[in-house]
Amino acid sequence: MLYPDTVEAEVLVHKLWFVATMFGIVLLVFMAFNMSGTGFAELMRPVIGEPSTSGLYGRFAIGFSIAVIFTLNVVLIGFAPLKLQIGIVWLELLLLFIAFFETFHLSLPFIREKLPFLISQGVVTTLYVSAISIVIASVIAVAGAVAKLSNNGFAYAIASFYTSFFRGLPLLMQVYLIYLGLPQLGFVINAVPAGILALSLCYGAYMTEIFRSGIQSIDRGQWEASRSMGFGFALTMRRIILPQALPVIIPPTGNQFISMLKDSSLVSVIGVWELMFLARTLGQKTFQHMEMLISAAVIYWMLSICLELIQSRIERHYARSKVR
Amino acid sequence: MTFWNRRQLTMAALALTLGAYPAHAGAVLDRVTSAGTLKVATDANWAPQSFMNANNELDGFDVDVAKAIGKHLGVKVEFVTPGWDIITAGNWAGRWDMHVGSMTPTKKRAEIFDFPAVYYYTPAAVAVHKDSKAKTLADLDGKVVGATSTSTFEAYAKKDLTLDAAGAPAFEYKLNPKEVHSYENSTTAFDDLRLGDGVRLDAVVSSLPSILDAVKAGYPIKQVGEPVFYEPLAIAIEHGDPELSGKIADAVKAMKADGTLSKLSEKWYGQDYSKTN
Repeated sequence: MLYPDTVEAEVLVHKLWFVATMFGIVLLVFMAFNMSGTGFAELMRPVIGEPSTSGLYGRFAIGFSIAVIFTLNVVLIGFAPLKLQIGIVWLELLLLFIAFFETFHLSLPFIREKLPFLISQGVVTTLYVSAISIVIASVIAVAGAVAKLSNNGFAYAIASFYTSFFRGLPLLMQVYLIYLGLPQLGFVINAVPAGILALSLCYGAYMTEIFRSGIQSIDRGQWEASRSMGFGFALTMRRIILPQALPVIIPPTGNQFISMLKDSSLVSVIGVWELMFLARTLGQKTFQHMEMLISAAVIYWMLSICLELIQSRIERHYARSKVR
Repeated sequence: MTFWNRRQLTMAALALTLGAYPAHAGAVLDRVTSAGTLKVATDANWAPQSFMNANNELDGFDVDVAKAIGKHLGVKVEFVTPGWDIITAGNWAGRWDMHVGSMTPTKKRAEIFDFPAVYYYTPAAVAVHKDSKAKTLADLDGKVVGATSTSTFEAYAKKDLTLDAAGAPAFEYKLNPKEVHSYENSTTAFDDLRLGDGVRLDAVVSSLPSILDAVKAGYPIKQVGEPVFYEPLAIAIEHGDPELSGKIADAVKAMKADGTLSKLSEKWYGQDYSKTN
């Protein structure tokens, strides 16, 4: 939250100019679309008659009712306390999404039939590939950050070359290079290790930069004070610098974990049967791939939500010092 | 330690871009017989040749052919499903021994692979949206055509197709598209075609069986004109093992002679594609 002051003021969504503007915009937007073929137009049939022949009046009536509902909804939510507001808005956005997916006319029995395999094979593979990659990437990142901050020329050169190379190539290309290229040097690695290697190296490079910036954000006075107390490099890092750097590092690192989870789908090109691979293949024979893609999308989303929750817990833990 | 690993890897990546080592010539057959398993690479997304069936197992014409070859060699068959471009890149490095995935033998591909046997021929055809006014292939002159990227269908649309395998029937270019769009697989191309006549695509070049499958699944598309070419499809292995090549050729010859291939083709396509028409 930004700075929460104690000045009494009316909430934005209850100011007349804001409500009026919002009403006008919603009205115009929905008048611009032809809604005569929708279920909402059917509901309006008693007022506007046959929807397809109702013309401009029909459009206006439909837009007007939607604008009234929308504005009323927002104004009413404005009265609720903060936590409830957040909950209601989440729920409403979620319902809109479900309504959107409803328009695909998905075959639910097919999804129910394939879901166990999608989870037992796909989700499990996706999770262990990303989990192992996350661990390796974090280790690389710590080492890389220290190397990038060191005054050893070799360490700096190697670390900066590494971050530049692996941040500069598309991850998909790295997957290909590692899977097809390493065998030419005599290391034949299977698809899963190749995928884990590519993900770890790529994300290690991004996280090196995150860790470096986190460490650099700590004032040099902290180093000076620590060294003057006789602390060595390792102890200073562990006890003084990293604990202060972590609150800076955690939000972007959480981002990386979430995007790693989704980027693990790129290893499907080398034939790993993870979630994305199965989503593309399971429904293919019967042309029900939309079912599988949407199921996989929902699963990815739920996994990401879990990561978000973990991240916000850790952030709360480190925010203790800022609470009054 | 970490520095070394990283440097090695970076060097590995560099070496790749600078030039490739020759592939190792290995006695693949020895490995197969001693392990008792034949590792077969195939696509998991190419129904009805190879796909995931209702029991979440690989199934299809190619899969059945691979299993039959395994039976002839007296070994078990195991499937791996790398992407098409990973397979055609060559340099398999022993990850799999044989590819049964409806590959068309061409001279360019023969530089990387041996083709022990052609096991069937697929007619390639052109599909249009069912609202399309095109009656013949000539009506599609100057239109937008879609095809799977790096496939023979794309090559045909771009007039860059070479079918130089023994017994490949002659063909001529009857399609003069303005633009060719490339797709990951034929399903995505059909998905674009189903949006409407000319919305994103006017036509798709694909195999006749996959077009008929899409029609059966309710896609609003139809075949137009006669099949444009008959594509010979072969089993591929890497160079350097003439014995394995001979064994596979014998197995396919035996399967042609005893009618196994015709039976499998009837099972999956409803027609006998194992001979040239």
